Amino acid sequence: MLTRRASEQSIIRKHEEALHQGYRRWPTLDFGLPPAMGDERWPAELILATWLQAETGRPPANGLEYRVGRSGGGFDALDFRFLPPEQQLPESEPVDTSIPLNRRPGDRAVEIPIPWYGGGMSFGSVSEQIMLARAKAAKEWRTFTSTGEGGYPESLVPYRDHVITQIATGMFGVREETIQWAPIIEFKYAQGAKPGLGGHLLGDKATVAVARMRESVPWVSLFSPFPFHSVYSVEDHKKHIDWVRTINPEALISVKVSTPTDIDMVAVGSYYAGAHIIHIDGGYGGTGAAPEIAKKNIAMPIELALPRVHRFLLQEGIRDEVVIMASGGIRTAYDIAKAIALGADGCVLGTTELVALGCTRCGNCERGRGCPFGLTTTDPELSQLVDPDWGAERLSRLYASFQAQLRDILRRLGLRSVRELRGRIDLLVYRKPGDSDEWANVVGSGQAR
Amino acid sequence: MVTAGRLSYRRYRIEIRPAPDLVRLPPRFRVEVKKHRLIGLVLEELVRYRGDLPVVLSRPCVYGVFSRPIGGLAPKEELCVGCLRCTVQYPDVVQIYPNPERERLGDSYLKPAHVDTLLYEARTGHVPVRGAGYRGPFGGAGWDGMWTDMSEIVRPTRDGIHGREFISTAVDIGEKPALLAFDERGEPVGTVPKVITIQVPFLFDRPPRSARPRLLLEILVRAAQEIETLAMVPVDLVVRFDLAGPHVVPVVEEETWRWLVQLAWSPRMIAIEGWDRERLAELERRFPESILCARVPMDSDVLDLVRQGARVLHLTADYHGRRNGRFVMDLIRQAHQRLVDAGVREEVTLIGSGGIVMAEHVPKAIICGLDAVALDTALWVALQARFAGECRNPETALVSFPRLEPAWGIQRLKNLAASWRDQLLEVLGAMGLREVRRLRGELGRCMFQAELEREAFAEVDGYRADA
Repeated sequence: MLTRRASEQSIIRKHEEALHQGYRRWPTLDFGLPPAMGDERWPAELILATWLQAETGRPPANGLEYRVGRSGGGFDALDFRFLPPEQQLPESEPVDTSIPLNRRPGDRAVEIPIPWYGGGMSFGSVSEQIMLARAKAAKEWRTFTSTGEGGYPESLVPYRDHVITQIATGMFGVREETIQWAPIIEFKYAQGAKPGLGGHLLGDKATVAVARMRESVPWVSLFSPFPFHSVYSVEDHKKHIDWVRTINPEALISVKVSTPTDIDMVAVGSYYAGAHIIHIDGGYGGTGAAPEIAKKNIAMPIELALPRVHRFLLQEGIRDEVVIMASGGIRTAYDIAKAIALGADGCVLGTTELVALGCTRCGNCERGRGCPFGLTTTDPELSQLVDPDWGAERLSRLYASFQAQLRDILRRLGLRSVRELRGRIDLLVYRKPGDSDEWANVVGSGQAR
Repeated sequence: MVTAGRLSYRRYRIEIRPAPDLVRLPPRFRVEVKKHRLIGLVLEELVRYRGDLPVVLSRPCVYGVFSRPIGGLAPKEELCVGCLRCTVQYPDVVQIYPNPERERLGDSYLKPAHVDTLLYEARTGHVPVRGAGYRGPFGGAGWDGMWTDMSEIVRPTRDGIHGREFISTAVDIGEKPALLAFDERGEPVGTVPKVITIQVPFLFDRPPRSARPRLLLEILVRAAQEIETLAMVPVDLVVRFDLAGPHVVPVVEEETWRWLVQLAWSPRMIAIEGWDRERLAELERRFPESILCARVPMDSDVLDLVRQGARVLHLTADYHGRRNGRFVMDLIRQAHQRLVDAGVREEVTLIGSGGIVMAEHVPKAIICGLDAVALDTALWVALQARFAGECRNPETALVSFPRLEPAWGIQRLKNLAASWRDQLLEVLGAMGLREVRRLRGELGRCMFQAELEREAFAEVDGYRADA
């Protein structure tokens, strides 16, 4: 028995080691680009560039494109209008990348040193190891990660000052203490990848441990209802917030919504209901499982929603009282900066973190044992392929690279703080790929700046 | 629902059953293993792990690609899902390539990815669900540049999708006068409503001229009957193959007009190719109970046709959704809007076909203004048809089918219909709509890329709305 277990451990270690080597070797481009890797949103070079950043903590210097994908629109068609070199801020000039997460007077001040935090990924959609890695990185960077809708594993408790408790329509794993622990409570009204539909966890991944956490039946698919059956108006929504703040008066309230035609009205309604953070998840967001029809066709991409919300909140005179966090297709430091220029205060990362941990975007997260890389799985064997400390280090290095790039962008725009970038749509340039030779070169050849 | 003269309720559903592909598809990926390096790797690991065979022989693939006794020396390519774990771990030993044979499925409009999706739907009857987010282009021309709406909280249907309440996908096809007139005895006079209700907002268009074997038509008709929709069949084939039934819509053309005399039953609907008032009047005399539908090009002046008496119009485009260079999305909006502006939209049924190849195209076409869509190439793909070159022109497209088996074919089409209906429910549910009839022409419940970009990027340097 002992020998068998030792053998199993050796097998896991063997593959873990080979994977780690692969994450290092592929971005060197010694083997070219993997022919079957990538898609328009996440081309192979962007995936490898993210691996490299997670390895080194710096953007690639070997020509790998690390700023844009090839989707032909949205972030991929936007660039910055940088100042001439002589007007840019010098390297020696400090640049602030922190943002506040509360702008309402009277409530607790929370500030994060980087304008992003980790988005909700439930226990069940990802492994406990992944949740732990994200929590450790969040602690190191004094930012946050979110439980997603799948409960709060005990192992996260030591990191609770950096863990957002998500309350979604299935209420999976929501307990009084998980609300009390949380510095931020996130109500998930909708998710960009499946707007208007509840969460999906297919039966294969609803293991005994997952089912126990969710108080459900093992191996039975879990479809969260939609919407909250207790919320059919902004007033109902306010009751929700009041309920949570009764349990935890100190918590900030985040409201995660998708991007319908009336997203501007949704944002205003959420503000008046008492939200500190409006988290807008665009239609091209990530997921552990979603109907394909929903991913592509329902609700608008985040790039198109942000200016609408930002302008409307400005017109209503409340823009400076609420924080807008953007998610749903934020892949790079450049995407973060562009989202902020389009009107967000900061961003929420999901898929990017998984890519940093080795995701190839193969899209097999939902089936069978789940992710063969040990990420979006609860398979006891596969999940051991990711050591939480190793994962936390990779995320930390990715964050470091993103922060360095963000500072570089701000310096080149002549801005001393990321807060000055918010809503500066005038600093963007629209360049459809192919518009100019220079841009075509950037996007087409993967030449880093 | 009235059954045998008495009222009864039966909740509509389409029975699904697995219907595996008849023709084996080429694998999605090619797995290329450098055999000498693999042998070298195994030898190296034998030394490294001191002969611990379970460790040495453990393979990176969790899908069984290397599960033969000789592992990577003879990979099972058909099991490869493209996760790339093997090549990530051992880049110098194994490489995964997209299979170019697979890339040749479909044509320039109905792309290989569409074929994959359609085959999955026809095989299983399920809604395609996958992990990871959207992977395609930001938007694009045609249907890709349109998104449907959703509602965060306001949703009258509550759990409609998952069972407790019902979302109706039924639509009415026929004549619907704006008002009724009654004589002094209270009996209706003049035009009275004449409609057929089908349970899904899609019907089956006739196959292309190159592929109209009896078996295929029988499959279409039987599947339409079981799904409770309609199948359009050329009238000569209706007669020759004895395809009578309430779910059959004979399509009459100039050269098949003579076959009408042999039509010994009264169809619920008859379609006539082109607009010919005299022929329609003749049809009305011969088949007074039938709904008459005129198949006209999608860029026709629909208002003029309605003023001439048309009440059911089937607007046609080529299989790529084009008519005189314009895409169906714009043409449908234009036709719908013209009827709305003239105040006659409610009296007319618009059916449309061409370029509707994915489940999401159905709600999008309905939002643009159709009452129902007629499906074409998606059906042939579900039956594992192959296109020879571009499948664009219904008159000249070369489509070949495998040796069809009736029960299999019917089930494939039922599965496809069930999957598309369930996906329609997802879209309706997300919007909070209780029935698909309310979706028609609801342009306020959709978003067009061009309009959103104009609003979002108007102030961005370099953005051109006309680009």
